[in-house]
Amino acid sequence: MSGLLEADVLVAGGGMAGAIAALAARRAGRAVALVRRSPGATALSSGAVSVAPDLGALAGEPLASRRPPLEAAARLAAARPDHPYAVVGTARLGEALAFACEELAAALAPFDDRRRFLATLYGSAVGAGLCQRANVAGDLLSVRGLLAVAGFAGHAGFDARLVAGGLGRYVARGGPEPRAVEVALPAGLGALARPHELAGALDAPGAAEALGDALRAALPAGARAALLPPVLGLDPGARAVERVAARAGVPVAETLSDVPSVPGLRLWRALEARLAAAGVRVVQGELAAAPAPGEPVRAGDAMIQAPVWILATGRFVGGGIARRGVLAEPALRLAVQAAEGREAGVHLAVRPAASLTSRDRRRPQPLLSAGLRVDHALRPLDERGRPVHPGLHAAGAVLGGHEQATDGTGLGVAILTGYLAGLAAAEGR
Amino acid sequence: MARPGALAYLAWRALVAHPLKRLFKWRGTGLDRFRAAYVAEGLAPAEPARRAAAEAASACISCGLCETGCDLATATPVVRALGLHAAFRLYSRTTMDLALAGDALERCAGCAGCEALCPTRVPIARVLAALRGGGVGPGPGGRPG
Repeated sequence: MSGLLEADVLVAGGGMAGAIAALAARRAGRAVALVRRSPGATALSSGAVSVAPDLGALAGEPLASRRPPLEAAARLAAARPDHPYAVVGTARLGEALAFACEELAAALAPFDDRRRFLATLYGSAVGAGLCQRANVAGDLLSVRGLLAVAGFAGHAGFDARLVAGGLGRYVARGGPEPRAVEVALPAGLGALARPHELAGALDAPGAAEALGDALRAALPAGARAALLPPVLGLDPGARAVERVAARAGVPVAETLSDVPSVPGLRLWRALEARLAAAGVRVVQGELAAAPAPGEPVRAGDAMIQAPVWILATGRFVGGGIARRGVLAEPALRLAVQAAEGREAGVHLAVRPAASLTSRDRRRPQPLLSAGLRVDHALRPLDERGRPVHPGLHAAGAVLGGHEQATDGTGLGVAILTGYLAGLAAAEGR
Repeated sequence: MARPGALAYLAWRALVAHPLKRLFKWRGTGLDRFRAAYVAEGLAPAEPARRAAAEAASACISCGLCETGCDLATATPVVRALGLHAAFRLYSRTTMDLALAGDALERCAGCAGCEALCPTRVPIARVLAALRGGGVGPGPGGRPG
């Protein structure tokens, strides 16, 4: 065991919220230690970073008439008082998103408050507030003319005709005309390779260039951009997309991914690389029986002491909220709360978790929005609505009030609350 | 009339013949009878160790992050393409389908590179050991013993 590691801020959780919190506190000059056990739900990201859906959107309206992310987030906050956007306010959301894009510039495209419509593996379009660099050229509103959807010969994980057929439905709403083509994979790239293997092979010198040449040969006349399977490089620094595009002669993008997700792994790598470069002390392990901020706590092989803690442990995937018959927050045994219907702040710690689901899938699922309740400074509240500890903050999916996996605000909430929690922790040292 | 005769025969079967048969014909222990009825359908009674492994495996969310730490180098390309986590997906559905993942299980080198990548803390090595010890072998139908 090493000696006592002292820091100004201790962050628990290495997903998007934890990483942004650590980077924000680090930029404010604080010594930051980050404890994480394994990749969390952020590594399952499709490539799109959903900030806020446009709640007032009508089916079939032109894509360009969807509200931009910041305005949609402000409206969502006004409509749902227990959503984290409403609790902390969306005034600094643009600043937080710009911060995230700057810190993670290796993977994420710059923020410009424009909604980008990105194709999924199944030919639908997702309106994302932020996206990876690999997705930018595939924005349906930015392609004027023919969009080539290129599948790899013999590669079963991507059906170019399915994607092109699905995207055809968006032509009337301002999307480009899609056309499916087949590209022969260059020698050395096996069609049966798993997605992360294909992506890793494309990072190697020459491989992305060879794919670009093959794509150029397969492109139909008049193609203005090409959409490829989400396997264009694992290493954010290898710039595989740009290298394919340079040889193909048209802008190239990948579709969003399903799990196992290469874009998710790429985002996770970018987070890890940025944390290391920014001088955040990353500790592998998990908080064991954490007492309270200010006291030494064991994490993996290390003992860490910090006056301010940020809890960014995620929800069910990350383990920040556990379902053991009833819902519990395992690290600090904080009160878990959720909203039911329009009623907010119901204390759920004593109710069986199974009673918190609704049979109708279209209705809100109280179980899926369960989490910690916090005040405007992101301090977790106890059963009686008082902050548990002045030096304890929480950020990301561990916060309740939103269905982070499905309501289209997951990573947006992680970035905003991570950023604000990082700043609050840096001030409150 | 055939109907009263038929009803009388059914009553005889239900009230006399069948209860007497249940009383006097030895059909093995409860476990024997369970096995006779269910083992053919892949529903063998679980030993405690295997049941514990199944509970641990139920935390799997099929995200595939473990795949990135799994080489499966000696498997055929088709088996590698499906990956070892296919075993978990199949396992979560039915134990019958698990036999289809037998080839992948067989090729697992036991490097444990997968385990640190699991976001939901599935003890992958322990589950795989239990699956391999539980008669799941190459090809459909499992392995004898």
